Amino acid sequence: MSSWLQTAVERAADVSDGLALKRQASLELLCDAKWPTRKTEAWKYVPINVWERAELSGATNDTVSAPVIDGLDSLDVVFVNGQLQSVAAESIEGLTLISLSDAGAQAADLFGTIKPDRHLFGLVNDVLATEGVVIDVAAGAEIEKPIRIVNLLGEGAEAHTRVLVRLGAGAKATVIEHYSGNSLSRNTGFAEYQVGEKAQLEHYRFALQTGEAMSIGGCHVELAEHSELNSTLVGFGSALSRIDVDVTHAGSHAFAKMNAIYLLDGKELFDLHSTIEHAVPNGTTEENVRGIVADNSRAVFNGRIHIHRDAQKTLAELNNRNLLLSDRAEINTKPELEIYADDVRCAHGATVAEIDQKALYYMQSRGVSRAQAQVMLNFGFINELVDQMPNEALAEWLRPQLRERFASMEVK
Amino acid sequence: MLSIKNLHASVEDKQILKGLDLEIKPGEVHAIMGPNGAGKSTMGYVLSGREGYSVEEGSVTLDGTDLLELEAEERARAGLFLAFQYPVEIPGVSNLEFLKAAVDAQREARGEEAVSSKDFLKMAREACKQVHLPAEFLKRGVNEGFSGGEKKRNEIMQMLLLQPKLCILDESDSGLDIDALQVVAEGVNSQRSPDRSFVVVTHYQRLLDYIKPDYVHVLSEGKIVKSGDASLAQELEDQGYAWLKEQRAADAEQSA
Ligand SMILES: Nc1ncnc2c1ncn2[C@@H]1O[C@H](COP(=O)(O)OP(=O)(O)OP(=O)(O)O)[C@@H](O)[C@H]1O
Ligand SMILES: [Mg+2]
Repeated sequence: MSSWLQTAVERAADVSDGLALKRQASLELLCDAKWPTRKTEAWKYVPINVWERAELSGATNDTVSAPVIDGLDSLDVVFVNGQLQSVAAESIEGLTLISLSDAGAQAADLFGTIKPDRHLFGLVNDVLATEGVVIDVAAGAEIEKPIRIVNLLGEGAEAHTRVLVRLGAGAKATVIEHYSGNSLSRNTGFAEYQVGEKAQLEHYRFALQTGEAMSIGGCHVELAEHSELNSTLVGFGSALSRIDVDVTHAGSHAFAKMNAIYLLDGKELFDLHSTIEHAVPNGTTEENVRGIVADNSRAVFNGRIHIHRDAQKTLAELNNRNLLLSDRAEINTKPELEIYADDVRCAHGATVAEIDQKALYYMQSRGVSRAQAQVMLNFGFINELVDQMPNEALAEWLRPQLRERFASMEVK
Repeated sequence: MLSIKNLHASVEDKQILKGLDLEIKPGEVHAIMGPNGAGKSTMGYVLSGREGYSVEEGSVTLDGTDLLELEAEERARAGLFLAFQYPVEIPGVSNLEFLKAAVDAQREARGEEAVSSKDFLKMAREACKQVHLPAEFLKRGVNEGFSGGEKKRNEIMQMLLLQPKLCILDESDSGLDIDALQVVAEGVNSQRSPDRSFVVVTHYQRLLDYIKPDYVHVLSEGKIVKSGDASLAQELEDQGYAWLKEQRAADAEQSA
């Protein structure tokens, strides 16, 4: 066992709360788990030794205010270095918004029920995440205000937080997971979403950790009959940034639209593993993943679609497009299709492209400099997905940050 | 204004322009006609600085400036504008953003003050109106999903905003319905002035009924083989290009 995992397991022994049963089960799985090496396919490109070896000083728990998003009136839950700092107090009919430690039995219903046990760091989160939030939306309730979960990670922090969300039948809600930090830290952030019949979840995960901030996280969603997921994931790479996304069509006629964007520069790494399980008939998945990798960075995208034998009439489209801005940048994209039903429509494509020379010339022919045209084209490539974000305030907030990243990216 | 002398250019080792000469004075409108594949679009690309085209011989100057020395964007800033035969689609970059970047860059290069976003929006709306494009087209991706005719009108719209000195219109009339043809022609005519010149590449007399050219040239196999006044266009419309073959045969005989 890795020494880091060893200490994690030891620390876990001290945790005792209403989730003890599940935590204990995960602990047992962890004790038998294999620590990934460079030979472990799913972790091939992740410098896990960096995670293991980092010596963290432990962060001071300063009070930090959550970044403001203009025009967004949200219910905020703020974690600083993994410690809960505040939970929006406003009471809204049909919404239970409560910290994990206060949730008690309500949390036990949701904790670990959707996240598959195969995720090693999900198990780590199971045993170490004493902080987190539970969002429970009653059947039929439509929560207008977006709920934003902010995780701020400072120098030396080790943070393990959990998000548990349940949307009752016909409920509607928007949940934003917002991570940020750029100094040496370690964090696991796992979220589980149970989306009830005919419920609609608008979801965002902004994994904006950069620099030395190391993070391994997951979003795990289960869709009941006729439910809808509209999800946008944005990732900036860092020394180590990995996210596993699992969406399971557990009820038929569910619809999942998932967009993901990553923008990497320097020596950053971003690794996205996505698994879509179509377990029942008539489900639809549209997944669009776009990335730009510059300089010496590396993007990994592993997109798996698993269509079970009973999942007839499934419509699944997964598209991964990448722009490579330098010879030293790397993209490892791997489609995995497993189809056991015969009456399905499934498309899966991955491309790595260079910048469109014709478009560049067209823009130059109007007087725009080559360098600026390049930035505009790169931005446009990503902006197509930003434009599709249902929340305009979030899109407006994101665009300048993306632009700033592009401006520093060079074509080599 | 524009002076092209003995221009030889090739793309992918294929010689396309083989000694092109053209002199255009301020305020003049020159029409260029000629068979498919003659090199008309190539001329536009070479003048505007598209990569992949190499010039082996000859010179091109715009108001005395050597164009061939300049990057594509510098040529545009010097006042050259090419309305593309096949405008390029750029999804994700809005028409408005693109136009603003172009106008800003050109104004900056000329040492003029920047236009505020608000004023620019007004100007852009006005230009749209002039070519009968709904203002929504400003929000859409550049040429993204535009119909053939809409793309051509978008090109003219850009010309109206950029106010170039020399405009090369490469088949701006092809694919247009009858009303749109008039819209495009009016757009061009509204810009005619003693210090602005036009090169109108077209296959049809129709456009030239609206935009009266001072000269008409026939471009064939990479050079101008015949020049005349506006009546030459009508002649070509009636006769086609069969005479070119005979002329070529005669030339060949003579040199043999
Ligand atoms: N990249 C290329 N490689 C090889 N040949 C090329 C290339 N681009 C253009 N050509 C050739 O150059 C010649 C001139 O093309 P050009 O587009 O300039 O013709 P044009 O006069 O504009 O014709 P049209 O009236 O059909 O628009 C054609 O024979 C064309 O096939
Ligand atoms: Mg042509």
